[in-house]
Amino acid sequence: MLGAVLAIFLIALAGGLAIRAGASIAGAASTAGERVPMLGGCAPGTHAWSRFHARWYPMALLFLAFDMEMVFMYPWAVVFVSEGPLALMEMLMFIAILVVGILYTWRERALEWA
Amino acid sequence: MIGSVVALLVLLAAGVVATALIDSAVGAVVGGEPVGRALKGPFTRSALLAVQGRTTTERPDAGTWRLAPALLGGLAAVGAAAVPLGRGLAAGDVPDGIVLFGVAMALVMVAVFLHGWSPNSPFPLFGAYRFAALALSYEMPLALVLIGTALPAQSLSVGDIVSSQAGLWNVVRQPLGLPLFLVAVAGLAFWGPLNVADAPDLVGGTAAESSGPALLAWRAARSAVLVAAAAMAAAAFLGGWNGPLLPGPVWMAVKTMGIVALVVTSGHRIPRVRLERFVVVAWVVLIPLALLDVFAAGIVAL
Amino acid sequence: MGLRAALSRLAAAAPVPVFLAPGAGGRSPAQRLRLSPYLEVVDSPRRATVMLVVGAVAAGAAEELHRVHDQLPHPRAVLWWDMETGATAPPPLPTAERVVGDEAAVVGAVVAAHRGLLSAGRPSSPPLLADVEPNDWRGVGPFGQGGKGMTGGTPYGRPLPTRAPDRDGLELDQLVLTLGPWLPMLPAGLVVEVKLQGDVVQEVTLAPSPGLVPGAAPADVFERARVEPVPIAELELARARHHLLWAGEVLVLLGLVAESRRVLRAAVAVVPGAAAAELAHAARTAGALASARRLRHPMARVGLVGADRLGEVAGPTARASGVVTDARTDDPAYRSLGFEAVTEEAGDALARWRVRLGEAVRSLELAAEAGDRLTSVDCTPEGPRGPWRAGGPSPSTALAHLAPGLLVGLEWGDAVVALASLDLEPAELAADAARPAEST
Repeated sequence: MLGAVLAIFLIALAGGLAIRAGASIAGAASTAGERVPMLGGCAPGTHAWSRFHARWYPMALLFLAFDMEMVFMYPWAVVFVSEGPLALMEMLMFIAILVVGILYTWRERALEWA
Repeated sequence: MIGSVVALLVLLAAGVVATALIDSAVGAVVGGEPVGRALKGPFTRSALLAVQGRTTTERPDAGTWRLAPALLGGLAAVGAAAVPLGRGLAAGDVPDGIVLFGVAMALVMVAVFLHGWSPNSPFPLFGAYRFAALALSYEMPLALVLIGTALPAQSLSVGDIVSSQAGLWNVVRQPLGLPLFLVAVAGLAFWGPLNVADAPDLVGGTAAESSGPALLAWRAARSAVLVAAAAMAAAAFLGGWNGPLLPGPVWMAVKTMGIVALVVTSGHRIPRVRLERFVVVAWVVLIPLALLDVFAAGIVAL
Repeated sequence: MGLRAALSRLAAAAPVPVFLAPGAGGRSPAQRLRLSPYLEVVDSPRRATVMLVVGAVAAGAAEELHRVHDQLPHPRAVLWWDMETGATAPPPLPTAERVVGDEAAVVGAVVAAHRGLLSAGRPSSPPLLADVEPNDWRGVGPFGQGGKGMTGGTPYGRPLPTRAPDRDGLELDQLVLTLGPWLPMLPAGLVVEVKLQGDVVQEVTLAPSPGLVPGAAPADVFERARVEPVPIAELELARARHHLLWAGEVLVLLGLVAESRRVLRAAVAVVPGAAAAELAHAARTAGALASARRLRHPMARVGLVGADRLGEVAGPTARASGVVTDARTDDPAYRSLGFEAVTEEAGDALARWRVRLGEAVRSLELAAEAGDRLTSVDCTPEGPRGPWRAGGPSPSTALAHLAPGLLVGLEWGDAVVALASLDLEPAELAADAARPAEST
């Protein structure tokens, strides 16, 4: 069945590339002036690519911790009913520790950046 | 298999067209304009974008720029493939459907980021980084509430999750689930109040430098993400194909488009959120609520 | 090819995606064009087939105008709406088609140009800027890499951003952008130089575009009120209309484009002699917007202006910071109507939103009660942005002094909303800048 999923992905991908190729009735804009990034009239002084200050990086670190937790939760969900209250308690304890992380990050105001 | 693959892609395309029509119609109602004329808009606009010429920017990353809309569309299709239209009617009926869906939707961040980063232009770049912050905030509620629906089904298969709702839909059994999931749906498709990536204050954000066919592909792919996520919402929370009188697939279509209409209408009524505030709310309110939802679902399931 | 011809026919029937470049006196007519069902005003030139210059643009902005023109994809056309405002020089656009007349004539010309491009073989407007790279540096490698390196030279014609200290104690790249004059989220005609680290504003400088011709716009009722008595009813209707048009602009920035059209429609109906039902509808619209809970979030606590920071600023911005100042309270005619200034305490963008829309409601009431009363000419008239004496500096100049400090430290989206909440008019800045030259 993963074959079907792969086929779906590839067909949709090809479709996206085909739409993008378009049926243009006019040529592409290609002079140096036509390529200038859009800033409302003025030209940029520099490239846009830069060491962009992603000020939410503490949040990204917090996300990593939770993303790992998610990996454990998928199999946990399947065996949850058969394992019973023990599974619930174990996961509750695990999550409670992670939630302390959220509270700490929040208290440090690390989720805000402006 | 070939039949189901083709059927899925056709249905997804139909969903994209329907989304554009709903958006036009709701926009006309909110704007106080005749709806009939607005319904022609999506077709004529799309035709115009298809025949418009291409533009480029100074030294873009042309390969990834070309790839981004296609990748987004491909991921939407994979996400939709995990959702069964009727009993046993999933194009990609993998046993762990919600994991497949989660994987596809997590990679949406890559597609959107590439789309904003590739043109080497400031406003798309800002849109890209904004979306990354948004995505890191909605991912957790998205995955958690889906896991909540897997608990009573004792399975990660979307088909089993739908079957487990034959008696009572998850929207009632897990009342926190659907509202949280809807926020995540709007975030995934960066639609309406959560359209921080392609926002007007960035002259269209990641799509600011896109014109013609590239823009058409991008908008279609974005709508496809919305449809795929709405289909998952219908399956996981609204009982999927369960429903009286009408055949299962029709119920799925009705429920999916109902969710789409809800998100689209919110886009015409609720202003764009302040990203920074949303990040705080997502971590401090939405994620704890999603965890609560999972544990409440667990206790109910036991 | 059959498919291409069919698509072109369908595309010709589309609402024309038009990019507006308003010049002097073009802001309000440009807003009205948003209401035409035949046009779709787009925010990036990359989506337009037609660029429409509205009003007068002086040669000082030729390069910017040409650059925006070149950013439209082919096939494209450029039109100039000559509003015959006295500044008769055409904009510096050799390929522009001149249109005179009212809105309907302009919409007709835009639609005709669009259809001509798509189905009648109208040639696409050729590029206006020279096909020269901004800088000829290339590295030694086959893709232009190497040599001085991506961080050292000017790869692919432009240098990379340089580093600057950040308030986090880090030293990171700073993007220095000169934005405008035709960036839809900024007031048309304003050139904003902004330094950004990440998406946070570090430094802002504002200036009117050299393309703005002072005095090109026809004198409105507020300008006439400086030199002669005008009917209060007319003045107040103009104020209500101004504030509603402004609210429509802000709604676009908040992502509510369809709703902004509804507000614009209510606004343009507010003219002297309008039916009572139209005016009542406008008042209801303004009142509902002023108190809408759903609109609070993006404006609350954005762009805080304490009363101590106001400086020369008067008008709605000062009233939103709790300062009871309104030139109308000095006018005996207004006093006889029992006029009281509308104020708010918070001093944020939301307070300014509420003051302006509250004033729009109040203005519509005043207009109904005023009868044929006239303003007194010895009192400074209160314009929509504050009092403006004949010969004195404009309210926008005071706002332009306030704005840079207000925007620093804000996330870009908040900065845009904060700037819009001040309702700055670049044409007034240009007029102020021109005045000393006249007096010498």
